[in-house]
Amino acid sequence: MKTLLIATALAAILGAAGSAAAADMVFTSWGGTTQDAQKAAWADSFAAASGIKVVQDGPTDYGKIKAMVEAGNVTWDVVDVEGDYAVQAGKAGLLEKLDFSTIDKSKLDPRFVTDYSVGSFYYSFVIGCNKDAAGTCPKSWKDLFDTAKFPGKRAFYKWSAPGVIEAALLADGVPADKLYPLDLDRAFKKLDTIKADIVWWDGGAASQQLLASGEAPFGSFWNGRLTALAATGVTVETSWDQNITAADALVVPKGTKNKEAAMKFIANATAAKPQAEFAAVTGYAPINLGSPDLMDAAIRKTLPDMQAASQVNADMSYWAEHRDAIGKRWYAWQAK
Amino acid sequence: MAMTATAAPGERVARRRNAAFAWTLPALVLILLFFVTPVLGLMLRSVTEPTLGLQNYAELIGTGTYARIFANTFLVAGVVTALSVVIGYPVAWALAVLPRPWGQLVFAIIILSMWTNLLARTYAWMVLLQRTGVINKTLIGLGVIDKPLALVNNLVGVTIGMTYIMLPFVILPLVGVIRAIDPAILRAGALCGANSWQCFTRILLPLSLPGVAAGALMVFVMALGYYVTPALLGGTANMMLAEMVAQFVQSLVNWGMGGAAAFVLLVVTLALYAAQLRFFGTRRIG
Repeated sequence: MKTLLIATALAAILGAAGSAAAADMVFTSWGGTTQDAQKAAWADSFAAASGIKVVQDGPTDYGKIKAMVEAGNVTWDVVDVEGDYAVQAGKAGLLEKLDFSTIDKSKLDPRFVTDYSVGSFYYSFVIGCNKDAAGTCPKSWKDLFDTAKFPGKRAFYKWSAPGVIEAALLADGVPADKLYPLDLDRAFKKLDTIKADIVWWDGGAASQQLLASGEAPFGSFWNGRLTALAATGVTVETSWDQNITAADALVVPKGTKNKEAAMKFIANATAAKPQAEFAAVTGYAPINLGSPDLMDAAIRKTLPDMQAASQVNADMSYWAEHRDAIGKRWYAWQAK
Repeated sequence: MAMTATAAPGERVARRRNAAFAWTLPALVLILLFFVTPVLGLMLRSVTEPTLGLQNYAELIGTGTYARIFANTFLVAGVVTALSVVIGYPVAWALAVLPRPWGQLVFAIIILSMWTNLLARTYAWMVLLQRTGVINKTLIGLGVIDKPLALVNNLVGVTIGMTYIMLPFVILPLVGVIRAIDPAILRAGALCGANSWQCFTRILLPLSLPGVAAGALMVFVMALGYYVTPALLGGTANMMLAEMVAQFVQSLVNWGMGGAAAFVLLVVTLALYAAQLRFFGTRRIG
C-alpha cells in the first residue's frame, strides 16, 4: 500500500517534529485512515499501559528501510509492510527475528506468521462499483475485464503486488486452485485487452477519489476503503466473488535501538482486543483468532474473513520469491 | 573601484577574491558532505550492485522499455519548455512594460502561485481535468463535445500541469532581461522605419535571447527530473525518468538500477548546463 507524496511531505514534517521530542519508539505505516486507526487501537493503548511513547511516522518506504539498516542508523522500530515484502526482507537480512516469548503467536492466524513477521491485518481485493455512476455493476473479475459488457474506465492498484495479476488470470478462466505458479504471459495478455481502459490508483485515498467521482465507476479495491467510502454516503456495491486476500505484516528493521519496546508493541498490536478495535474501524480483518468473539456481529459480517467461501488467497511465499522478477516485468508492461 | 596608495589594484582584487572564497568555504564543505558524497555513493552502487561491472547500464540502454522512458522524458521536457517560452515571453514583456501598480499585481500573482504547495496545485489540475471534472462538464454542458475529453492520465495532462508550474521560471529571468533593454533602442529602430514586427524580431528578441536561454534551460533541466506532476497527472504509459528511479529505489529496492538511471540523468543535465555556458557565456542575467 503506497500513498502519495503528500503523505511523505507531511510525514517528513511531522516525523522531524516528532523525533525532536523524547521518542521512546517509532511506528511507521502507510498514513491515512488506516494509520489513524492503528494509532488509536494499538499505539495509544500501548502507551497508556506501558508508559512507552509511540511516535507515528510514514509512509512505509522499502528504500528507507534498506538505507537505515545499511547505515546502522535505524529510526523506525516497528513497520507495517506488505506480506510478500516481509518474507523477502527477512531472507535478505534486513529484519530482526521476532521474540515469540513476548509475542504470543499461539493465538495468531498461522498463515501470516514467519520468523521475522506477524500479520498486521488482512484485507481483500474486491470488485467495487459506484452504482450511481455505473448503471450496472460488474459482479466478477470476468465482468471487470469485459469492456464490451461494462464499458468505461476501471481502477486497478498501480504497484507490483499480489492482486491484479491474480485477478487477470481468474478473469481468463484459470481455476482458483491452479493460480500458482503464476502464468505471467497469460496474465499480461489478458491485461492487454483492457489496458487502455485502466486508471491506476497508487494509494487508498486516490482509489476512493476515483470511485466517488465516477472517474472510474468500478474497479479492484481494498475492501476497507469501500466500507469507508460507503460510510460517507456514496452508493458503493461490493462484490466478494473470488475476493483476493493479502495481508500486511509487522516487522522490526535490523539494528533497532528499541528492540524490546518494539516486541512489546507488536505483542499488544496483535492481541485480541486491539485487533478487534482496529478491524471495527477499518473494515479489515483481524489476524488474532480471539478477536472475532469480541466483535459486534453486524460488523463481523462485513469483514473479509467472513467471505472465505468465495476467497482466493494470494501466495505470499510465491510472491516473496518472485517479487523482483514480477516487479520488473510489471513496470515494463505498464510503461509500454 | 577606488585605488589606494598601499596596494596595486590587481593585488587588492585578488585579496578580496581570496577573502570571498574563504567565506564560501563552509557552504562548499556542506555541499561536498551532504550532496556530492551521496551522489557518488549512489553512482558507486550503480557499478557494484549486484556485482561489479556495467551490467546496470547495459540493461538500462539495452531494454526497449527504459529507452522509451528516456525518450518520453525528453519529449515531455522539450514540449513543456517550448510551451513555457511561447506563453511566458509575452507575459514577461507585458510585466516589463506595464505601468507600476498593474505590473506589480501580475508579478504578485505569479509569485503567489509559486508559493502555493506543488501538490495542491497538481491536485487542483487533476480535479479540473478529469473526465468528470469542471472542464469536461462545462464543455459537455455547452454542447461543444458529447464525450469527455481525455485530459488527464496521459501526455496532455502532464504537459498542462508541468507548463503551468514551470511558467514562472521562464517569466522571471526574462522580465529582468527585457527591463534591462534600453527602450531608446526600440524607439531608434522605429524612427528608422522598422515596423513593430521588425522591432520585435530584429531588436527585442535578439537582445532578450540570453534570458530566453536561461529560462528555457532551467525549465528543461527541472522538467527532466520532475516527479510529482507526471506521477499524478500522467498515465503509466508516459512514465518519466524520475518515476522510474523512484520505482527502482522504493518498490523494487534495486539501487544498482536506480543509481544508474539517476546518474545518466545527472550527466545529461550537466552536459546541457555546460552547453548553455558555452553558447551564452556567463553573462549576468536578470
